[in-house]
Amino acid sequence: MKIDRVLAVARKNLRSLKHDRRTIGFLVFMPLLMITIFGYTFGGDVKNIEVYIVNLDQAPANQSISAAIIADLETRDTLDIVRIYGPSDAGVDPIGIGRDNVKDAKIWATIIFNETFTQDATRLAGESSSQSALVRMMVDGTNPNIVQAISNDVLTAIRTALGSRAFVTPIAISTDLVYGKDARFIDFFAPGVMGLAAMMVTFMLSIISFIHERSTSTLERLLTTPVTEGEIVAGYALAFGLVGLVQSAVIILAAVALFSIQIVGNPLTVLLIVFVFGAGIQGLGFLLSSMAKNEFQAIQFIPLILFPSILLSGVFWPIEAVPDVLRPISNFIPLTYAVEGMRSVMIRGWGIGDVWLQIGVLVVFACVMLLLSAYSLRKRR
Amino acid sequence: MSEPLEGEAKKATRTLEGAGDTIHTHKLRKEFEDLVAVDDLDLRIGGGLLYGMIGPNGSGKTTAIKMLVGLLKPTAGKAYVLGEKVPIVNNIARIGYMPQEMAIYTDLTVHENLELFSALYSMDRETFRQREHELLKVIDLSDREDSLVSQLSGGMKHRVSLACTLIHDPEVVFLDEPTVGVDPELRVGFWKYFADLKKRGKTVVLTTHYMDEAVRCDIVGMMRLGKLIGEGTPRELMASTATSDLESAFMAMARKAGT
Repeated sequence: MKIDRVLAVARKNLRSLKHDRRTIGFLVFMPLLMITIFGYTFGGDVKNIEVYIVNLDQAPANQSISAAIIADLETRDTLDIVRIYGPSDAGVDPIGIGRDNVKDAKIWATIIFNETFTQDATRLAGESSSQSALVRMMVDGTNPNIVQAISNDVLTAIRTALGSRAFVTPIAISTDLVYGKDARFIDFFAPGVMGLAAMMVTFMLSIISFIHERSTSTLERLLTTPVTEGEIVAGYALAFGLVGLVQSAVIILAAVALFSIQIVGNPLTVLLIVFVFGAGIQGLGFLLSSMAKNEFQAIQFIPLILFPSILLSGVFWPIEAVPDVLRPISNFIPLTYAVEGMRSVMIRGWGIGDVWLQIGVLVVFACVMLLLSAYSLRKRR
Repeated sequence: MSEPLEGEAKKATRTLEGAGDTIHTHKLRKEFEDLVAVDDLDLRIGGGLLYGMIGPNGSGKTTAIKMLVGLLKPTAGKAYVLGEKVPIVNNIARIGYMPQEMAIYTDLTVHENLELFSALYSMDRETFRQREHELLKVIDLSDREDSLVSQLSGGMKHRVSLACTLIHDPEVVFLDEPTVGVDPELRVGFWKYFADLKKRGKTVVLTTHYMDEAVRCDIVGMMRLGKLIGEGTPRELMASTATSDLESAFMAMARKAGT
């Protein structure tokens, strides 16, 4: 081995990097992006969980334990208390409204204090009775992390409220799960993994096979046949959409067989979501691939797209755990909608009509991506 | 000048100036940033001819072909193929293009490649079967129909590439450096087949930088720095430069063209 030749090769590679600004940008930007997102995401707690509170407690405000608990909940930002119904609102059936809103997934929970809450708590104070004053919660159990976070926060508030009164009262929380009864983390997790897997595979397949298509000139050959750009793009979308679909079917089957996950809704709706999502991601891969000058530039897009999606779309932890600064980004990540849609169908048992927003967003995403891909192909001529 | 030479030259001239040329370009030009790849090229190629574009690498042959098949947009000038302005759309199924690179799917079998392209030309099953059978015989790969292309030798891949270009029996065939990296024996076979195509009334336009093999063409266009510096039958070109082979003829033409 001659050291001169080794150095010459090394220099050649460094020089080719020097001529490739995007690669330099990638080398610096990517670790920066990763550390930022990881740092924020793992550093943050679940925050701003939207809830209603129905406080029917008849005790005067200055003695009311429920009011103290609510006051304490308001000091933290774990819960975002959207509405508080007081005793005077009893006529509008606040509990019914709360239940409906949880059912429609507009809020995560409704927390209820009954008419005699303070009275019960005070009466039972010091008695070594097995009875407790009850804080009732109707919670959307789709996401176990959220359920946990709400319970913890209410418990903290109860302790704080009682501590200031310096007497011990048995107060218990009774949780009524609207969805996801017996939901375990795996139930929450499975739709996320399906979305993520579909995304990873369709994205990588599409970006790699298209760059291959270009580098081997098969694309040129295709473009001199009667096939149109739109047809090429649609063919790719169909192929990789199907790949995503088959993959999801396998994941569903495996998850049912191995972990007996619950699928309350129609699995076909889930597959429809995956297919539309896969087609869109394929378009994205195709488009980005056409912007790359070579294989290496194309591959750089893979972590660049995948990491933010994995971290910010609610695959592993709820969107509510994403810090406020980054949360707007979550709304622009297609995976967010795919996972939310699939979760609603699988755990909440929703039908197509209930997840129209998610499907709609994914359809628009897919159409835009495929049109742009076809346009980028046309522009190559 | 001997008799047959004159006759051939006359025939060539007639074809060059004849109306209804299969390929016709007028001041066709392609610039890439600060490079003029094709410099006001005027070409007329009559139907049923075997036309060879020769010239060194970088002389603009590939760029010219790519404009003719619609892969590159001309910077200026006009080009017509089969009477349609490029990029042709209506007549696209009547042309066949073989890129310089292998341009076949190595992760598919020979049959699957051919089937793909036949499908892109909307050929019916029966016609495709017949055509595939015929072509596999020509490229001598009848027994490798179901082999993955990646498992074939370089020469075999090349033959598959040619077959993919010809699957739909095109009237005008553009072959970019079809004989690069092809072993001598196979090269002879290729040229025989090109002559055969011509016999069947097809127009074949090919590029090569092996100038000497272009003597097999009816008309040779010599390209240098994006310009056509000489055109005619091989004999005519050699005679006018008083040389005995096309390579020397090219050098002489290049000197005459200056720079």
